[in-house]
Amino acid sequence: MSINSVSSTPNAMVQSLLDMRAQFDDLQRQLSTGQKSATYAGLGSSRGLSVSLNSQLSAIGGYDNSIDMINTRLQLAQTSLGGMSTIGNQMKALVVQGGSTGGNANSAQLTAQSSLQQLLGLLNTQAGGRYLFSGRATDQPSVETYDHIVNGDGARAGLTQLINERAQADLGASGLGRLTLSAPTSTSVSVAEDAVSPFGFKLGSVSSNLTNATVSGPTGSPASVSVDFTGGQPSAGDTLTLRLNLPDGTTTNLTLTATTQSPPGDNQFTIGATTAATAANFQSTLSTSLGALAGSTLKAASAMSASNDFFSADLNNPPQRVAGPPFDTATAMTAGTTANTVVWYTGEAGTDPARDTATTRIDPSLVVSYGARANETGLKTLVQNVATLAAVNISPSDPNLSNFTAALSQRIGTGLSGAPGQQSVTDIEAELAGTQTTMASVKDQHAQTSATLNDMLQQISGVSNEAVGAQILTLQTRMEASMQTTAMLYQLSLTKFL
Amino acid sequence: MSLTQALNTALSGLNAAQTSVSIVAGNIANAQTPGYVRKVAVLTQNSVGTAGASVQVSAINRVLDQFVQTQLRTESAGAAYTDARAKLYDQLQDVYGTPNSTSTLESSFNTFTTALQGLSTSPDDATAQSAVLAAAQQFAQQLNTMSAGVQGLRQQAELAISDDVTQANNCLQQIAQLNQQLSAAGQDPSAAALSDQRDNYIDQLSKLMDIRVINSGNNQVTVLTTSGVELCGAKASTLSFDAQGVVTPQAQWNADPTKRTIGTVTLTSPNGTSTDLVANGALRSGEIAGFLDMRDNTLVQAQGQLDQLAAAMSSALSDTTTAGTAATSGAQSGFDVDVGGLQAGNTVSITYTDTATNTQKQITLMRVDDPSVLPLSNSATNNPNDTVVGIDFSGGMASVISQINTALGATGMTASNPSGTTLRILDDGAANTVDVNAVSTTTTATGLTGGVALPFFTDGSNPYTGAITATGAESVGLAGRIAVNQSLISDPSKLVAYTSGVAAGDSTRPDFLYNQMVNATLTYSPSAGIGTSGAPFSASAGTYLRQIISVQGANAANADSLKQGQDVVLSSLQSRFDAGSGVSIDQEMSDLLTLQNTYAANARVMSTIKDMLTSLMQLGL
Repeated sequence: MSINSVSSTPNAMVQSLLDMRAQFDDLQRQLSTGQKSATYAGLGSSRGLSVSLNSQLSAIGGYDNSIDMINTRLQLAQTSLGGMSTIGNQMKALVVQGGSTGGNANSAQLTAQSSLQQLLGLLNTQAGGRYLFSGRATDQPSVETYDHIVNGDGARAGLTQLINERAQADLGASGLGRLTLSAPTSTSVSVAEDAVSPFGFKLGSVSSNLTNATVSGPTGSPASVSVDFTGGQPSAGDTLTLRLNLPDGTTTNLTLTATTQSPPGDNQFTIGATTAATAANFQSTLSTSLGALAGSTLKAASAMSASNDFFSADLNNPPQRVAGPPFDTATAMTAGTTANTVVWYTGEAGTDPARDTATTRIDPSLVVSYGARANETGLKTLVQNVATLAAVNISPSDPNLSNFTAALSQRIGTGLSGAPGQQSVTDIEAELAGTQTTMASVKDQHAQTSATLNDMLQQISGVSNEAVGAQILTLQTRMEASMQTTAMLYQLSLTKFL
Repeated sequence: MSLTQALNTALSGLNAAQTSVSIVAGNIANAQTPGYVRKVAVLTQNSVGTAGASVQVSAINRVLDQFVQTQLRTESAGAAYTDARAKLYDQLQDVYGTPNSTSTLESSFNTFTTALQGLSTSPDDATAQSAVLAAAQQFAQQLNTMSAGVQGLRQQAELAISDDVTQANNCLQQIAQLNQQLSAAGQDPSAAALSDQRDNYIDQLSKLMDIRVINSGNNQVTVLTTSGVELCGAKASTLSFDAQGVVTPQAQWNADPTKRTIGTVTLTSPNGTSTDLVANGALRSGEIAGFLDMRDNTLVQAQGQLDQLAAAMSSALSDTTTAGTAATSGAQSGFDVDVGGLQAGNTVSITYTDTATNTQKQITLMRVDDPSVLPLSNSATNNPNDTVVGIDFSGGMASVISQINTALGATGMTASNPSGTTLRILDDGAANTVDVNAVSTTTTATGLTGGVALPFFTDGSNPYTGAITATGAESVGLAGRIAVNQSLISDPSKLVAYTSGVAAGDSTRPDFLYNQMVNATLTYSPSAGIGTSGAPFSASAGTYLRQIISVQGANAANADSLKQGQDVVLSSLQSRFDAGSGVSIDQEMSDLLTLQNTYAANARVMSTIKDMLTSLMQLGL
């Protein structure tokens, strides 16, 4: 600052005093607000950066809110999945250890029924009004109620009815699994499927070491197998094995053994006096054996198949049902409608991966997928197998009860164990846990980034109290000196000394 | 007789001292009077008889350094210019709010995007939906307020110019009047005081506008603008300014008086001819020029930046670009697009290769509903590389096709209308001078359902389409009108349900909204001062926002430092001027002492002469 002559109008001096005063006021504002400037202009060349930093900080805040919210959802989902996993394991243990066969069947069914109720309850878990297992339809319950699923809802058929209809279709009116036996000649026996249909036993193959007998087939459509004893009598101990395909994709073998005993044991036929008598005995044994097999293994396979159809459905694809009535002569499946059949899964049914039904960006470069559908393979398999046991008709007076429950238990045990490579509840738990881990590490990263960004922002727009304090002190000294000098300058006028 | 002569000489000394003392008294009395220039008495000797000389005050001079005075006037015009700008820039900064506070545009934008992020996490949550709408409304409101603030400042500038023009007129009249009085005063001592007054008015005028002062002799001055337009001589010209009561974003200065919707400064000379000083560029410095610059450039740009942000964000959420489907006819191949959904301002973009030079070119056809704006300039779109052709859709498809064919004429491409509202663009087939690479349409969604895009923000109550009409582009002033779609506010579920049957938890639309607001690269018109027409600024909305704040902050800081620099120059010049021409009390006091001595000495001479005369008389007795 140039030194002005003492007596010229001291405009500049007064101006600089005013400037210092304004500076003082600004420093006081900085001290009280902690902000360097009240306008962007005053922030200096980093003002643009401060806008970016604020926007990044706000975005991180938003991402962290999302992470917290998703975490709540995932924790609830994990709790549900853990519960379902436990139920699955208990049921598997019960079934595999024979707890559901013969006389135990009824109590096992009661266990299955309560387990199913629990499973359905867990699948309808909500997090803040949001159904976790409904895919995108988060406002819809994931699954129907226990009562509707098992017993149906008015005009809409439930699982029990579907199993029942399928059993009729598979067993046929004669109870022989839709096979018919006949004697084309007095010395031969023919077994044939009654129609081309997906129901009942399907003749897979036949192998025989019956001496003198001619075994042919399966041939034709509907397929048939014939056993001709015209060439002579079989020897005792000779066997014929019929390989039968079942509705659930499994197979079973029926082996008939020739014997000289009369009456013959189970699955044995007596070699008669003539080949015609042998043929008649053979037909009679075959009929009895098929009847017993149909009442046990076929019935179990039929229930599994009906249950599979029921649980493979969603709102876009209602369950496949037996075309009928009459059901015992049905030859085809037909698609049910939402009006005549209960659809167990009421959430959103898409073909895309279930995880992708809920996605959220938790970082500018990271999107997590954490959706789930109750009809995912792992969950569906569990519910389906438990529900089958819960819904089949177990009658203590059924002569085939023991074999039927054994066949059913074996199938349910296999189903609950799951095929290798097939999704299980644990797989879903693991996937969601992976997401949780990712989110936890992203959140840690966010905390560090936030700290850095805040630090930078503070450097740009914030002030250090110490620095401001020091500046105020310096300024105060300068102002005092200036004011004193100004006062002295005004005193220094020649006028005073004349 | 020499004693009498000596007596007369002493008397003249007394008179001169008295006059000088009265000048000193005047100087001291006027020490604080603005524009007062220190006066000194000019003493000259008169030879009397054979020996000695009497003294007389021949004139009263003003101690004036004319060089410094001229410089001071130039710089005070500059200082007033920078001061006016700095003042308005400072107020403009208030429009952008306090950094890190919740009252800023960036803060409402961040709240909006965070709310969208929240909605994307919980699409089914009614709270998240209403949070998005509330944040969006607040953002729109903020833009409205800022736009009103910018226009308020323009209005303030307009009124300030009006006041300044009145003041300038007063100065000019006073100068002219003083010129007349001074021509009559001649060498009269009162001339110095009149000159002071006139200088004072010229100084005032120099703060308002940049002027040049010519001394035309005989105490007369002529005042001109630095560009050479005469403002005042013996008679004063009159300045006039037609201030507009309400300043809107659309109100802009134009050299064509029929298109001008805001005030301009007109100079009417004494003989009646009038000149538009703004159009002539005659106002280059001074307060009026400062306010004009703010009103017509800086603040228009500030508004433009807000408008561009509003327009880019509106379009980002509402516009859908649909690629054409391939079509052939004989050897010709090209694309079909449906132009049925095109609104005024929507476009059809044609990319083709000129096979002769193997260069790719673009033609943009823009729907225009107001034929008076045709033809459009290439700057109608933000794309720097396209040729823009406005197409009037009012005459039906046949007329549209014929207009397009005229536009495509030289390229070798042809347009046809195979059916309905389908536009088919084909190359020239076997001649192979041109290949059509792509044809696409960009349309603005008008309803809330039917596609992911939706008119989230509206211009008043209509979707923003970027239409160009006789009143200008729709984007002008959009920041002041932007609002959140009213039908969306009444049905927030449409934030998720982009079409019928959309699941409540489907985050498709929230993800789209978030992505468009945060990540999508949008292009902004260079007319708002960010980016150039060759390389328009294109970035996410957040980055543009940052750019606005950055540019405005830097401009305001620059304006302030310019002002401070100018103030330093002015104050040092003022000091120099004061040192030369101002009154120094010390100086006056020491002069007074000398004068007192002079007076006493002269009186002593007289008393001695009296004694001598007495002695002489006694001798004679």
